[in-house]
Amino acid sequence: MDKRIKIVLTALIVRVAIAPFFMHAGDLGTIYESSAIALNGGNLYNFVYQQTLQMQYATGLPIFFEGYAYHPLLIYFFVPFYWAYTLIAGPSPSIIGGHFPSLPVLIYPWALVAIFMLKIPIILADVAVVYILSGIDLKKAELYAFCPYIIFISVVWGMFDAIVAVFLLLSYLTFNDKSSYALSGFTYGLSLVKLYTIVLLPLYVVRLWGKWKDLGKFLFGLAVTLLPVAYYWIVSPISFWNVLVGFQGSRVMGGVNLYNFVWIIEDVRFDLQMSMIPTILLVISVAVIVLAYGRRLPLLEAILAVMLVSFVFGKVLNEQFLVSIFPLMLLCKKCDTRLWVAPFIFIFLRSPFYYFAIPILWSSPYFYDLYFQADTVWRNLQTAGYLMMPMYAVGVAFSLLLLWNLIQVLSVSRPAGGMLSRSLSRVIRILRK
Amino acid sequence: MKIITISFIAYVIALSFIPLVHQLFVAQSAWLGYGTGAYAYQSPSYFVLFNDPYDGSSKPNIHVNPSFAPNERISIIEFSDWTSYVDGFNLFNDFNVTIRTSADGKTLNATYTRPGLILHKFIQLSSDTVQVKMIANKEVTAHVELWKWVMTSVNNVTIATAPKPMVIPTSTSINFTFNDQSSNAIGVGEISLSRVPTQIEVWPFENGFNRVTVDFINSEMTFTVSGSITEPGQASWSYGDLTYALPVIAILTVTAYLLVERHGQKNKDRINRSHS
Repeated sequence: MDKRIKIVLTALIVRVAIAPFFMHAGDLGTIYESSAIALNGGNLYNFVYQQTLQMQYATGLPIFFEGYAYHPLLIYFFVPFYWAYTLIAGPSPSIIGGHFPSLPVLIYPWALVAIFMLKIPIILADVAVVYILSGIDLKKAELYAFCPYIIFISVVWGMFDAIVAVFLLLSYLTFNDKSSYALSGFTYGLSLVKLYTIVLLPLYVVRLWGKWKDLGKFLFGLAVTLLPVAYYWIVSPISFWNVLVGFQGSRVMGGVNLYNFVWIIEDVRFDLQMSMIPTILLVISVAVIVLAYGRRLPLLEAILAVMLVSFVFGKVLNEQFLVSIFPLMLLCKKCDTRLWVAPFIFIFLRSPFYYFAIPILWSSPYFYDLYFQADTVWRNLQTAGYLMMPMYAVGVAFSLLLLWNLIQVLSVSRPAGGMLSRSLSRVIRILRK
Repeated sequence: MKIITISFIAYVIALSFIPLVHQLFVAQSAWLGYGTGAYAYQSPSYFVLFNDPYDGSSKPNIHVNPSFAPNERISIIEFSDWTSYVDGFNLFNDFNVTIRTSADGKTLNATYTRPGLILHKFIQLSSDTVQVKMIANKEVTAHVELWKWVMTSVNNVTIATAPKPMVIPTSTSINFTFNDQSSNAIGVGEISLSRVPTQIEVWPFENGFNRVTVDFINSEMTFTVSGSITEPGQASWSYGDLTYALPVIAILTVTAYLLVERHGQKNKDRINRSHS
């Protein structure tokens, strides 16, 4: 058998074998709940906004319900599989609740079917990345296919950053070989299902600045993916704004980064004020990278530079975000892809025990009892602060490693004499125009 | 590029002091909300937690900061909504709750509502006591449960004299001694009641009592709680020490990074030299 097919099939088999038995209660629960709402014609943003209003009314605090806060297109990747699941299992819910800090209730055996079905788009995205990479370099495809971190995020937890990864990769490839700027814009638009790739838009614009026809094609492709955004913007502007912009803009910093110290500060208003620091630095740093390096670096390095700087300075960097640029990092000779180890370690420090094997743990009273025993140990370690210290160390280390990779990527460009001043003068020229 | 790394390291270290700055200059003596809606108050001697609306425990949980370990929080008594009732309705399951702070941030007001019944819990701290005032819009029959693992005596009643749940003589004062299981400290606590309740009951657990229940019929009742540690336990690591630990961790991590980076650079140079 062709080696390429062998890798792709093995990647697929590994993922399918793991998928039904594990889930991230919060994230997969959100996709399940949102698919049900979307299939019934409900408005996801109204639902999330109402939950937020309820929380804010009950507590008097500027806190948000952590539900579906993504691009409207995302749910349509999952709805067909949810629909297929309802054909098998019927309309009764099989995953109930699960938004932190509540534990989900699972109905067997249908919960396993639901988990598997909802992971199919993620598995397909993962396998597509493996297929594309194997066409370029088999070794790199193998690294992606069997990287424990990637497998964990995609099929153990069921997080959908692989969808971002495949579309970002396609956007880069189609842009780079100049085959179709419209397709590049379209796939870039699809990568926005998780909003953190928005930082790349100025880069694409800068790269095509002056080539108006190509820029027009790119923006046309992008605009097609924004049609659902326009729809929700018209039908429920307040909910849509609150859930996408309000929530994402008002999130407290933290994650696998140097900002997770904020988790020990028991004061959400102060935390929000502090979270302005990385937001300001993010805007400045992305602007500097785009203006100073946007056209001087090869496209791959330019994309990675912008994404890496947004990870270094962005206020929220969750464990799964690295998946989105991992294929591009594999293609870049300057990047050290062993970097995945940091978020992988972080997963085990941060997450409650039940996040690792809910469907198995919930399947019998014996396992449930085991869960309680393990969870007690975990909570004791957590409340004593013993887990926070390594979490902070890993967060700082990961930020430093991202910075190191960023510097390596930037070193591909010509020596940077007077780089900052040139970029600033470029900003001034644009403003004058 | 070296300047970028050095600036970033300075940034990391500077930020690591923020929790300490907050603890010393912002967090004192005001109710502050966090997480999914919990509130906490740190006075010079007490730490009080009022849990979020999705959890019936710690409503509130009153801790003392012992002098032998100022960052330690030793629980004196915990009010539980899981197991408390007003007019037969469970405080956690049968009421809608809203939580607000007063304009000056000194008083926490948890309002429990259900058709025909409104109950407020006002929580206020003075220098040496914590006051939990319950006010209803009408006369109610209330059953309030107060938890502590474990009280070695309550109003001079010990496990030896009350091996089973026992109603003790009512009074406006509940004095108890306790042995804190986590820190091994021994302390005393007092709960003064604004009115004589209809019943006070103690509930045995292992070597002492783990809860006291107070029943009353009234529209208002104030629990004034105070406590102190009489025999210090072992001063050990506590969650509050994290604010001091994080800058140390930041410095250690960046030092380790710099050492590894230097080592890597040396190796790279050596390989380059051998190739040339």
